[in-house]
Amino acid sequence: MKRGRPLFRWPGILLLCAAISIICIEAYGKKEPLNTPESGRPDLVTIDTLAAFGKLELPPVTFFHDKHTEALLKEKKDCKTCHLVEDDKLSLTFKRSKATRPAEIKQIYHSNCIGCHMDMAAAGKKSGPPDGMCRSCHNAEPKIAAARLDVEVNKILHFRHVGSKSVPSKTTDKDNCNRCHHVYDKEAKKIVYVKGKEATCGYCHLEKQKDDVKSLRQASHLECVLCHLDLANKEVKETGPYVCAGCHGKDGQVLVAKKNQEAVAKLPDKEIPRLKAGQPDFALITLDPKLESAKALKPVLMNPVAFDHKAHERSNDSCHVCHHKTVDSCQTCHTLLGKKEGGSVRFEEAMHLRASKQSCLGCHGEKQAALSCAGCHSHMDKIRRPDDATCRQCHMPLPKTVLQGRGELRDDVVLTPKQKSGIAEVMLKGRNMKPGVYAVEDIPEKAVIRELVDQYEPAEMPHRKIVLTLMKGMKDNSLAGYFHSEQGTICQGCHHNSPAAKKPPRCGNCHGKPFDPRQPNRPGLQAAFHGECMGCHKAIKLAKPAATACTECHKEKKKEPA
Amino acid sequence: MRRRTFLGLLGAAGAGIVFGKSAHAGGNKQFEGYPESFGVLFDATRCIGCRKCEAGCNKVNELPAPDRPFDDLKVLDVKRRTHAKTYTVVNRYDNIPGAAGPVYRKFQCNHCLEPACASACFVRAFTKTKQGGVIWDSSVCVGCRYCMIACPFDVPTFEYSEVLTPRIRKCTLCSPLITSGKLAVPGCVGACPNESLVYGKRAELIKIARERIRMFPGRYVDHIYGEREMGGTNWLYLSGVPFKAIGMREDLGITSAPELTSGALATVPVIAVTWPVLLTGIYAVSKRREKIAREERLQAVAKVEEEAKAKLAQAKAQAEADKKAAVEREVKKALEQAAKAKTTEGA
Repeated sequence: MKRGRPLFRWPGILLLCAAISIICIEAYGKKEPLNTPESGRPDLVTIDTLAAFGKLELPPVTFFHDKHTEALLKEKKDCKTCHLVEDDKLSLTFKRSKATRPAEIKQIYHSNCIGCHMDMAAAGKKSGPPDGMCRSCHNAEPKIAAARLDVEVNKILHFRHVGSKSVPSKTTDKDNCNRCHHVYDKEAKKIVYVKGKEATCGYCHLEKQKDDVKSLRQASHLECVLCHLDLANKEVKETGPYVCAGCHGKDGQVLVAKKNQEAVAKLPDKEIPRLKAGQPDFALITLDPKLESAKALKPVLMNPVAFDHKAHERSNDSCHVCHHKTVDSCQTCHTLLGKKEGGSVRFEEAMHLRASKQSCLGCHGEKQAALSCAGCHSHMDKIRRPDDATCRQCHMPLPKTVLQGRGELRDDVVLTPKQKSGIAEVMLKGRNMKPGVYAVEDIPEKAVIRELVDQYEPAEMPHRKIVLTLMKGMKDNSLAGYFHSEQGTICQGCHHNSPAAKKPPRCGNCHGKPFDPRQPNRPGLQAAFHGECMGCHKAIKLAKPAATACTECHKEKKKEPA
Repeated sequence: MRRRTFLGLLGAAGAGIVFGKSAHAGGNKQFEGYPESFGVLFDATRCIGCRKCEAGCNKVNELPAPDRPFDDLKVLDVKRRTHAKTYTVVNRYDNIPGAAGPVYRKFQCNHCLEPACASACFVRAFTKTKQGGVIWDSSVCVGCRYCMIACPFDVPTFEYSEVLTPRIRKCTLCSPLITSGKLAVPGCVGACPNESLVYGKRAELIKIARERIRMFPGRYVDHIYGEREMGGTNWLYLSGVPFKAIGMREDLGITSAPELTSGALATVPVIAVTWPVLLTGIYAVSKRREKIAREERLQAVAKVEEEAKAKLAQAKAQAEADKKAAVEREVKKALEQAAKAKTTEGA
């Protein structure tokens, strides 16, 4: 085909170019979806049910739930318009009780959603996108994102439910715990109420649905929202929210907080009554040899920690701040050597790990980030090991009455929970929980910093005022008070890396010339002064004196006439 | 051109590249820096934006007085860069997500271990000193500004206002002043009130930076900028916010600029010297050969032509002669016939 060859050469080349550019441009154009929506709404539900069946053909649907409930309310229609009723309860899925085949689900959504929209439009009312405008619902780059605030049932909200007359007990029992709390009976294969086993929903209802256990989202909506709705339908005056924004929106949460405050104000002595869960007032945190495996060496009972459970209940919002998986003892999962159930976190780590929110030291560390503490604590490095005196403030020796011989437990002492509580109470009695400092006369009123005077006059630091302000910041805080009960401890915030003393060392004792290769990370004297003072001010967000306002701390030296 | 000639030229060009000296600036090995070289560690979490470093630099380098005094902090409202009168500037970055307040950054020459400016300068005006600073000799500078283009951090500045003798200006790490003993630490480092700048051996500074990151894990981004960027720099940065948020390029990679260009630059001598000579030579030779071949061909053609001409002339002469003879014969025949006819008639 000698003559035909030139005929195919140029079209062939053009076709090749076209193919390459199509492939390359397609690959290039696959940019990430814009993650910068302009605003957020709490009621945005992303409908991507078919994602469970494979790759989606169109982007998931952005659905505004509150918008629809409002519109239906105007029509005097209720939730049953979209949610079917099964077992006397509304189903949380749209117009179906069980997820079935993808084609069926798609058909349910399309015919019902679009059908209703078309009906409303036909009746002349404002409605959603009609048939044919697929991308109005299947929005690839929605301008509005879901902005849901998490809901926490803290102790005051819980108390309001416990004391509410609208939440009656389901049985003859006076307490209405059985109204919400349940456990799963494996043999009877249903949920029942067991007194004494009430716990937070999140222990069993996890983030995602697991087998038959509903996800926390589904469970909480079924329990909370449907009950609120029920009460609203019964025309009860004060009921909880049942629209998305009521719990998850910023305004809704502000309203809930306000109502919480009002409820607290009505209480005598403004204190929320303790949860009645049979918890001890005091606990002795020590290793229970019975809970340990045979592999663990016989654990030595070191000085245990006497734990004021009642006080900790007061200062925390809910039980699961510490009891993050179960209300049983930590050692059930966090054994000496670590167990799979505990994520291999050993007992020592569970108590001391600073990065964790549940551990003792972790939680105390978080409290040190408060503004009245951060001035000193922000520049203490996070990896240093606390000194022994700090350890001993928690690990106290057992009272002599239970000991024998050279400090061993008496043979007749059996550490039952009740006994442990009693021992802990004894150990905790008489502790000094107030912050301590030296006598006012012993605290220098002004610290005049004369070293390195060059461009500026000596700096006059209001030393006593600062110390007394720090003490005031610890006034009502028993955590701060207990750990700063020793007189010299508060001084060590600035007079650091030295033993506590009435006359602590001057900064210049250790800080000298800068950039000393023998002390790589130790600042020189000028940087020590400036870093300490400016660092503290920055951490406590002190506006005045500003770090760049040099003359506010030391006046400028007047230049002598030549 | 004949195909063989073309292919021959191609092959010679390839051979020239292969056998030409392959020069890799610095080779394939990474230059870790002189062991005693000093550097500066800048900690963005400590800097308060007081601009005393700018004042210190101005003083020790005897730079001209600035337009606005150094304690005027309103200057920070606008992002600035170094120019011919300032070796360093401090910039303020506001509204960075995750930062409690504004973050400040000091901008100056980073004193790379393998500087791009030194590599681009074809009069060798730049020197990477053992002390760590990258200094230059103004007297050999030709003002081509290749160094300004080459620098990945856009550091060297040019005296545009000088007409006859413009100079390139940039931070020197106070190298001449420190080496001569006039200063112990660079001017900016000495002026900083709270040691946001630390001067020391580069290896030590990296250890200090790592220690700081370890001691305060939540405070710093776990990266020392300058440890490996562009092959490593002598000015190291620590920051509490992503480096991109304080105006530092994160897309530079860890290959030094000279290493990136050494491959291409190695072919310059080949292309500029070897190729012209080699290829011109081959071309000349083949051209000459063609010329000789053509001449020989012409000669051969001429010879054959001559022979042909001679033959032709001969043939022509022969033909003439034949013709003549034929004519004579005919004439003779005619005459004889006429004579015969006459005799027959007379009888």
